[in-house]
Amino acid sequence: MQRSQSTGRDYDVAVIGGGLVGIAVAWGLARLGQRVAVLDEVDGAKRASRGNFALVWVQSKGLGMGEYAGWTVRSSNGWAGLADELGRETGVDVHFERPGGFHLALSERELEMRATSLKRLHNQPRMVGYETTMLTHSEIKRMLPDIGPDVVGGSYCPLDGHVNSQKLLRALHQGFAQLGGTYLPGSTALHIAQAGGGFSIKTTDGAVAAGKVVLAAGNANMALAPQVGLSVPMLPERGQIIVTERTERFLRHPVVTIRQTDEGTVMLGDSREETTDDRGANPQINSVMAARASRMFPRLARLNVVRTWSAIRVMTADGFPIYDQSVTHPGAFVVTCHSGVTLAANHAYDMAGMIARGALDPDVAVFSARRFDANAGA
Amino acid sequence: MTDIRQLATDWDAIVVGAGPAGLAAARVLHSAGLSTLLIDENPAPGGQIWRAVTSTPLLDQSVLGLDYWAGLEPVRGAIGSGLAIATATSVWSADRGGQVGISCNGVTRMLTAKRVVIATGALERPFPVKGWTLPGVLTVGAAQGLLKSSGRVFSGRVVIAGCGPLLWLYAAQVLRAGGTIAHILDTTEAAQFRPASRGLAGFALSSYLAKGLALMAEVRRRVQVISRVTALEIEGQERATGVRFEARGRSGQVAADVVLVHQGIVPQVNLAMAAGVPYRWDAAQLCFAPVADESGQTPLARILVAGDGAGIAGWEAASARGTLAGIAAAQALGASGPVPNGRSERAQVRRKLRARGFLDRLYRPADAFRRPTGDVIVCRCEEVTAAEVEKGIDLGAIGPAQLKSYTRCGMGPCQGRLCGLTVTEMIAARRGLTPGEVGHYRLRAPVKPITLAELASLPADDAAVRAVVRN
Repeated sequence: MQRSQSTGRDYDVAVIGGGLVGIAVAWGLARLGQRVAVLDEVDGAKRASRGNFALVWVQSKGLGMGEYAGWTVRSSNGWAGLADELGRETGVDVHFERPGGFHLALSERELEMRATSLKRLHNQPRMVGYETTMLTHSEIKRMLPDIGPDVVGGSYCPLDGHVNSQKLLRALHQGFAQLGGTYLPGSTALHIAQAGGGFSIKTTDGAVAAGKVVLAAGNANMALAPQVGLSVPMLPERGQIIVTERTERFLRHPVVTIRQTDEGTVMLGDSREETTDDRGANPQINSVMAARASRMFPRLARLNVVRTWSAIRVMTADGFPIYDQSVTHPGAFVVTCHSGVTLAANHAYDMAGMIARGALDPDVAVFSARRFDANAGA
Repeated sequence: MTDIRQLATDWDAIVVGAGPAGLAAARVLHSAGLSTLLIDENPAPGGQIWRAVTSTPLLDQSVLGLDYWAGLEPVRGAIGSGLAIATATSVWSADRGGQVGISCNGVTRMLTAKRVVIATGALERPFPVKGWTLPGVLTVGAAQGLLKSSGRVFSGRVVIAGCGPLLWLYAAQVLRAGGTIAHILDTTEAAQFRPASRGLAGFALSSYLAKGLALMAEVRRRVQVISRVTALEIEGQERATGVRFEARGRSGQVAADVVLVHQGIVPQVNLAMAAGVPYRWDAAQLCFAPVADESGQTPLARILVAGDGAGIAGWEAASARGTLAGIAAAQALGASGPVPNGRSERAQVRRKLRARGFLDRLYRPADAFRRPTGDVIVCRCEEVTAAEVEKGIDLGAIGPAQLKSYTRCGMGPCQGRLCGLTVTEMIAARRGLTPGEVGHYRLRAPVKPITLAELASLPADDAAVRAVVRN
C-alpha cells in the first residue's frame, strides 16, 4: 500500500481531524457531492473520540445558553435518521437507542441540587421546551429494577439515549470512503496558508490543497485557528472511564454515568480533572466512580474491570460549541464541541450543508467565538 | 494464601514475579537490608520454569530434568530467608511513582515502593491458525504447567505442532513421564538452518547445543516427527479432532484428541507498558521489549525490568539479570548491607545472549504463522478475524489504537496479550512499515482482573470525590 502524497489543488474541502466531529462533517460533505479529504494525526495522538462515553444526551445541557439546549434537542431528534442512513449505506448497525435516560442521586442533598439546577435550566430565556421529570426511588425502581437502596431519587428525560460510538466512528469512516472521500491518517496538519483562492495545508506527510478548510481537530485547533484568523479558547479537561466485563442485559436505560453497551459491557464515567495528560488514570478517582456505581447498582460490584482509561475532553472556555467562519480567511471554518456523539446528526446534516454552501446559518451565529470577545469587553 | 491486609504499605522494593529473575533480585535486595516484598500470582514461587518445584508429584528428577530441579534451592532459599512473599497475589497496576496495585482473594491494596522490579517473565507467542480457538487445543506451555504441578499427561492421540526449544523439552518430559505423543508437526523453516548457523560459533560455546540435540534425538526415537510443515489447520466442530497440514509441498492429515501448539515465547510486557516504560521492537526475536540498560534500569527512575520480561534469554540469564537489577536498585537506594559486584552475572548474561542468537534465527516462526489471513481468528476475546483486521487497516487504521476503534480487536479481557503481536505485524506488513513504527496497543490498568468492588474499596481523597460527584 502506498502512503498518500498529495500535491496541487485536490479537494473542495479539507477537514482537519478524523475524530467523530471531523468525520461526521466530512461524511456529510461527501454525501452532498463534495470532494473531501480528512487529515488525521498519528495513531498515538490524543483522541477524545476514543475516550467518549457514547451518550446521545439532552437533560441538563445548556445552562447558561438556552440555544445550546435547542441545538442539542435538534440533534437528538435527528439521530434516528442518521443511524438509519449509516446502517443502510454501510451495513454497520451503530445501535442507537433513545429509551430515555436517568441522572441518579445518592443523597437528599444531591437530589435537591439536581432539582434546583434543572429548574434554573428550564427557566432560562430562549429555552427549548421539553420535559425532564424528578422521580422518587420507587418511581425509578419501576423502570430500573436493579437500583440499590442508596438511590434516593433522580431525574428522567425521555429524549436521552446512547449509541455504540466505536461503531459510529467505523460507520462514518466507512461511509465516507464509500462516497469517495479521502482519509489521510498520519498527516498531522502543521500550517495552513491561503493559496489560489483556497488553502494550502502543510502536513507531516506532504501538502494538501483545498477550496475550504474545516478545523475539527479538538484541542489541536488552538494552534491552527490563529493561522486563519479564528480563535478557539479551550480549557484543559480530562475524564476517566471504567469498563467492565460483559454481563447479562440489565440496564434498559442509560444513566448519565453508567451505561450498558450493546455488547453487554458496562461503562462507568465520568470524572472531570483540569489536565490534558492522558497517559495514566487516577486510581483514587476510579475508586470513587466504582464505589458510586456499585451503590447505584449493587450487582455491578462483582463484575471484573476490563479496562480503565483517561481521555481529554474537548472543552471550550464556556463548555458550549464553537462554530465559526473566518472573516479574514473566508472558507476557513471551525467546528468544535464537547458532545461529538450527541451532536453528530447536526454536524453530518446541518453543519455540512452550511459549509458546502459557504455560509453559516444565522441561527448558529450564537455559537461564534465572538461571544468570548464580548465577555472580555463587558 | 497471603492475607495482604497484613502487609505494610511502604516498601524499599517490590519485586513482581517470583521466577528465576524475581527470586534473584529479591534475594539481593533482602540481603542488602532493604525492606522487600516479592509478589507472585501463583500459589508458590518458581515462575513458569520452576512451577510447583516444592510440590510436584514427579519426584523422579530425570523426568523434568536438571534445569527444573535447579529451582529447588532458590525457591526454598527465598521461603526460608525471612523475605516477605505474597503468593496467589496479582499485580494489576504499577506506575512511574512506584505505586503498585495488588489483589488477593477479593482484597485490594495500593502499596508504594522506592524501586519496583518487574520480572513478569514470558508468555507464548500467539499461534493464530484456523481452529486454534477450539476446545482441545492448548499451548505447550499450559500443558507443561499441568505436567509440573499435577504430573498430568494427556491420554488419547496427542499432536504437537509448532517450533521452539520448549516444544522439544515438553515432548521429552511427557515421554519420560510415561505419556505418548502421536505426532509432532515441526514448523521450523528449512530456510532458517543456514542463516542460523552463522550464530553457531556462539551457540557451540554454550550448553544449549548438547542439551538441544540430545532432546531432539530422544524425542525422535519415539515420536513420528513430520518436519518442514508450512501450513496448519486444526479440524473439528465442537472440539479438535485432527490437524490438516502441508509439509514439503504435500498435504496430509492426522487425527487428534488433543492438539498442543507452540511457536516460541516473548516477553510479557503488559505491566511494564501500562506503567509507562518505553518499549522497542526486537527484530531478531520478533517482539516488543522494554527499554532498559544491562542492569534492567528503565528510563523511569523507580522501575527496573529483569528476566525474560526484558528480552528472551533463558532462565540462567534471567537469574543473572535478576541479580543485576537487585544490585542496581540496592545501590540506588544506598543499601547498608552487603551488595555483590555482579561481575560474573554480567559475563553470564553476555554469554547467554550470544548463544541465543542462533536459537532466535533457527526458530524464527514463519511469516504465515504470524500473519494469518481469511477467517482465522486473530482476537479470541472479541472473535475478530484476519479478514476483518485487514478491512480495518484498509479503511485507514495505521496503528492498533484506530484498529481497536474500528473492529474491537484487542478490547477483551486479555487486553491484547493474545493478539497484540499479530495485529502489529499485520498492520506493518500491509502498510509497508516496521512493527516498531506501528507500535503496540496502549495498555492500561488493570492488567490483571479485579472486581469493581475491589476497585471501590481503595482509599480516595476529597479531590477525587469532587472530580466525580457533581450536579
